[in-house]
Amino acid sequence: MKNSIRVERAIHNLTQQDLAEKIGVSRQTINAIESNKYVPSTVLALKMARLFKKNVGELFELEKED
Amino acid sequence: MKTSLLLPAKYKTIGLILFIPSLILGILVRFWDVSFDFLTLRFPSANKDANTGHVDFEGLINLTDELAITGLILSLLFIAFAREKHEDEFIHHTRLESWQWAVVLNYVLLLIAIWLVHGMEFIDVMMYNMLTVLIIFIIRFNYVLYKNKVSISSNPAQ
Repeated sequence: MKNSIRVERAIHNLTQQDLAEKIGVSRQTINAIESNKYVPSTVLALKMARLFKKNVGELFELEKED
Repeated sequence: MKTSLLLPAKYKTIGLILFIPSLILGILVRFWDVSFDFLTLRFPSANKDANTGHVDFEGLINLTDELAITGLILSLLFIAFAREKHEDEFIHHTRLESWQWAVVLNYVLLLIAIWLVHGMEFIDVMMYNMLTVLIIFIIRFNYVLYKNKVSISSNPAQ
């Protein structure tokens, strides 16, 4: 699965720390999601989608192997 | 993330403080047969002399090794189960994955030891095996978190 969190963060001019604080997780978690080491829970995905005013499907995209 | 089985974060420090003296005591007991006299329990043996009523044997148990292993187990449990400062779902995920890792690796090592170590020396294997799940977990869990922290600090602009 790939995601566009890093891009969205840049568009909204947020640091990893800013985003982490806004959705109530650690900066480690944002970093792990952006580097595709961790797939967030549905709750966390929805929180990010709400913050960026996008659908979850626009932030996360399935890949062939998924 | 609700993780009710975890201890407050300060237990990591408490665990570390308890671990060092327990480890030193454990090493002293294991390799130099150190034992503290004040930890010796004395109790009369059941074998009394039928004629005189004299107890001819005194049972002795020294609790130094019990103290050392209790300290080691408790301190490692404290370190392993202390909450991270920001215990969120990624940390939780890493935690569970690390437990799985620790159990599997522990039994792989145990199986190897079962085939390589024989006789009384296997007692040593059993002794170390009391702690290896906890030790492997702590190392693996903290290594993953450390690696993730390093990857954060290598991208400071983000």
